[in-house]
Amino acid sequence: MGVSRQRTNSTPCRILVCCVMLTVLVDVAGCKRFVSDTPIGKTITIPVPLGLPPVPFPADNPPTAETIALGRKLFYDPKLSQDNSTACATCHNPTLDFTDALSISRGVRGMAGIRNAPTVVNSAYLPLQFWDGRALSLEEQAASPIANPVEMNQTHEVSVSKLGADPAYGLMFNKAFGSNVIIIGRIQKALASFERTLLSGNSAFDRYQFGGDKQALTPAQVRGLALFLSPSKGNCAACHIVNSRYALFTDGKFHNLGQGVGDDGGFKDVGRFHQTNNAADQGAFKTPTLRNVAKTAPYMHDGSLKTLSEVVDFYAGGGNSNPQLDKEIRAIQLNGRERSDLVEFLQSLTGEMPGNVGPP
Amino acid sequence: MKGSTHRIIRLAAESTRFTCLCMALGIALTSIAGCKATPAPAPAPSATTKPVVATFKVDPATAGSVSGTILYKGKKPAAKLVDMSEDPACVQAHSGKAYDESLVVGSKGTLGNAFIYVKSGLEGKTFAIPTTPVTIDQGGCWFRPRVLGIQTNQTLQVTNSDPVTHNIHPMAQINREWNHSQGPGDAPLNRKFQKQEIMVKVKCNIHSWMHAYIGVVDSPYFAVSKDDGSFEIPNLPPGTYTLAVWQENLGTQQQQITIAPHTRTATDFTFKGN
Repeated sequence: MGVSRQRTNSTPCRILVCCVMLTVLVDVAGCKRFVSDTPIGKTITIPVPLGLPPVPFPADNPPTAETIALGRKLFYDPKLSQDNSTACATCHNPTLDFTDALSISRGVRGMAGIRNAPTVVNSAYLPLQFWDGRALSLEEQAASPIANPVEMNQTHEVSVSKLGADPAYGLMFNKAFGSNVIIIGRIQKALASFERTLLSGNSAFDRYQFGGDKQALTPAQVRGLALFLSPSKGNCAACHIVNSRYALFTDGKFHNLGQGVGDDGGFKDVGRFHQTNNAADQGAFKTPTLRNVAKTAPYMHDGSLKTLSEVVDFYAGGGNSNPQLDKEIRAIQLNGRERSDLVEFLQSLTGEMPGNVGPP
Repeated sequence: MKGSTHRIIRLAAESTRFTCLCMALGIALTSIAGCKATPAPAPAPSATTKPVVATFKVDPATAGSVSGTILYKGKKPAAKLVDMSEDPACVQAHSGKAYDESLVVGSKGTLGNAFIYVKSGLEGKTFAIPTTPVTIDQGGCWFRPRVLGIQTNQTLQVTNSDPVTHNIHPMAQINREWNHSQGPGDAPLNRKFQKQEIMVKVKCNIHSWMHAYIGVVDSPYFAVSKDDGSFEIPNLPPGTYTLAVWQENLGTQQQQITIAPHTRTATDFTFKGN
């Protein structure tokens, strides 16, 4: 009786007990969490093909041979999905230039996503990832589809424990990060490092523009390039940028083309607005690279345009009007031959991929 | 044992006290809300202020009609070929030569594709909006039909039956101007015009030769003349009206007409060419 009275009434004592318990919990969690995700291997320079700049990487994740090899294994491993059916490579298939050739991607058990899978090719250069830019790095991006209910639909805890059951991973994590402990941070970093090697350059365009080979493009492609660059004609390079020494064919920014605007003037998928809540970002999506674009149909964030010809026609017509239409989008006077020259030019952007990026 | 029993009782007492407190608070809150709610029996007035305008019903026993022919006097314009060669897909889709249709004179000097509408005499009347849409198709790299009428707030359904992309652009000046891309096989667009506008010029942003005209009228009293120049506007209540006609190259004309109960009034218009 006395004890109970003391317990219920003595507030300072209760706080003390709580404090002690909390300290114990923090210690346990802290010990468990303190696993370094810094790669231990020697930093390597990712070879860059003609037409691309050096590959940027975050200071805490320099590329190493070991993290890249681990990332490659993870990229192709369906164990990262709930029913062991879906790997990163399912929607970013190397034989389809790291896309899935579908309008809208499908995850485990055929779950439909809401957007078209963008190519991973040259994503190393993008300042923000996803169509709406919600991930600030490839590392951050990599964790998301694994847990997304309509993609791989598996918690990070389950992924970590499933990989832990495979001794081959223990060895690889040890080589890459200095111990065989698996944590999601290490998975993210390894995947990101592998993705930084998925580079496409040395295309016919690159050989023409940066390699001094004036025979590399056909006459139609040369005309198409001029239209592509001209602000008063195609005006494509306003967003799909070509620099003096390299070309990423994207500004990494977000633009509203009116794609997806409904009969009521609104957007079912508000795009960048999801992240910024800025009205001007309604219906704005990230400029995709045009590298290998001839092989990554269908197009646009919703996969609604089936051919490059439809894409060029979409722009030639000035997109779809709506209150947030980007100022660079307007009807442009391009005749049929000019539109077909632009399509021809886009065919010249198919580049070489490194040989060691397929399934390990 | 005794201690634990005491604890349970004590807990029960505490929980009872807590429940009481909650109830008291709940009552207090309810009464505040109640007080606030009573003076404003809210939703009723907004329902009554909603503009419910009764639509005008035409009495079938007295309704008449106006009909006539649109005529052309002057030199028949020579047929002008439309050159689609810059887009071979269009040449193929059009199957056969395309001729300019801005002024097509029939063998008896008649004019099709003129737009006739009741310009005045219906003031103060509101008409029901037809539920069936008016359609315009992009087929053979051509707008079909070239001239069409639609009532305000009636649905305009835009289709593309071509194997190429079009970008329909109604260059409205009174209504909102818009343009929209439609690829092969894309779903129809459904749009509306809210205000009367004679005429909304329509173009395709991709194919410069494609033109259409939409007459937006806030009554159902409009018609497009057929190839033989004839038109008819039925179901008009008796009264005096201004009947106007528009032709894309020749401009507009108008006449006063009087509709007597249950009669068919005949009115022709004649445009003079060069």
